[in-house]
Amino acid sequence: MAKITIYSTSACVYCKMAKAFFKEHNVAYEEKDVASDEKAREEMISKSSQMGVPVIDIDGQIVVGFDKEELSKLLGIE
Amino acid sequence: MLYDLIIIGSGAAGLSAGIYAGRYRMKALIIGKEFGGETAKAGAILNYPGFQSVDGYELMDLMKQQAAKLNVETLDAEVASIKRQGHCFTVATGKKTYEAGVVIFAVGAERRRLGLPNEKELTGRGVHYCVTCDGPVYTGKTIAMVGGGDASVKGVILASEYAKKVFLIARRKKITAEPINLDYLQKLKDKTEIILETEVKEIIGKDKLEKIILSRPRKGSSELIIDGLFVEIGSVPSVSLAESLGVELDERGYVKVDNMMRTNVDGVFAAGDVVNHFGSFKQDIAAAAMGAVAATSAYNDHKIHG
Repeated sequence: MAKITIYSTSACVYCKMAKAFFKEHNVAYEEKDVASDEKAREEMISKSSQMGVPVIDIDGQIVVGFDKEELSKLLGIE
Repeated sequence: MLYDLIIIGSGAAGLSAGIYAGRYRMKALIIGKEFGGETAKAGAILNYPGFQSVDGYELMDLMKQQAAKLNVETLDAEVASIKRQGHCFTVATGKKTYEAGVVIFAVGAERRRLGLPNEKELTGRGVHYCVTCDGPVYTGKTIAMVGGGDASVKGVILASEYAKKVFLIARRKKITAEPINLDYLQKLKDKTEIILETEVKEIIGKDKLEKIILSRPRKGSSELIIDGLFVEIGSVPSVSLAESLGVELDERGYVKVDNMMRTNVDGVFAAGDVVNHFGSFKQDIAAAAMGAVAATSAYNDHKIHG
């Protein structure tokens, strides 16, 4: 199973959409709140050069934003 | 698939229309490109009656659940085209087509961009359009909010919870926001600075935003070094689908409706930020009301033609 990390903030709607998408498809993920966790914030920026959330790491492949099609492709969801 | 009603847009107007359509026992489908529209991105909503404070996304989810209980279907997809043949509308997404006797456009509006070189390249790398989402990433940093309206002031209030310093850059002589938000802003004057009658002329940065150039100097310099730039300069109504059906627009480019949310095209109704019914009063309560009225008109129309 793929190792998934979502870098998020608590009020971010696209993060909520991404998490709802994972739940709908029974995909396990780890969440890191970049607002409260400075280390996670630096990790997200170094992985993606992005200051916008969500950033999703799927086994080292980085998806920026809630890109349903890209996530579906990487996770093999029809 | 055949429906009585297709609602395009799943923000406050579209979902409210769905709830009313469900209660009218219409077979209805809501198709939305981005669930919850602008409301979902708004963060805490403090003025929706019945709620002291409710998160915008949660409010939209509650409306969606309410519509679902009335057997209204929702679909997350972008409508690619819509065609009309008498009282039969064919709505196509990338993959499928759906038919309905009446339609409601509740497609909202697109965020206005500054239209500057570098803006697109640096989006997410210092340039942002959702302070609720990305504001917290700038904890301890210096940021600027562009725009002189209520959304921008609310953005400054929210961002000041995280940022070290927040500039508010506005084109006009005065900030126009709800008095309660102006009061909050006043209380934040130690960490905020308002720059009036000024525009952002350039966005500078290679891999990430480094600074912006202002249209007139502040403290002797036009350069403003910031970590993040948040753009809140209003929106442009999303009218292309409606226009493809021959729907008339008003002089400001919004879909023109009468007081019952009817457009000039038979069987086509509109509600929410895509219309200018309440002028600049772009609020959930107004969008929900317009959605309810549009669904009522759609129901009455469908009874005659359905």
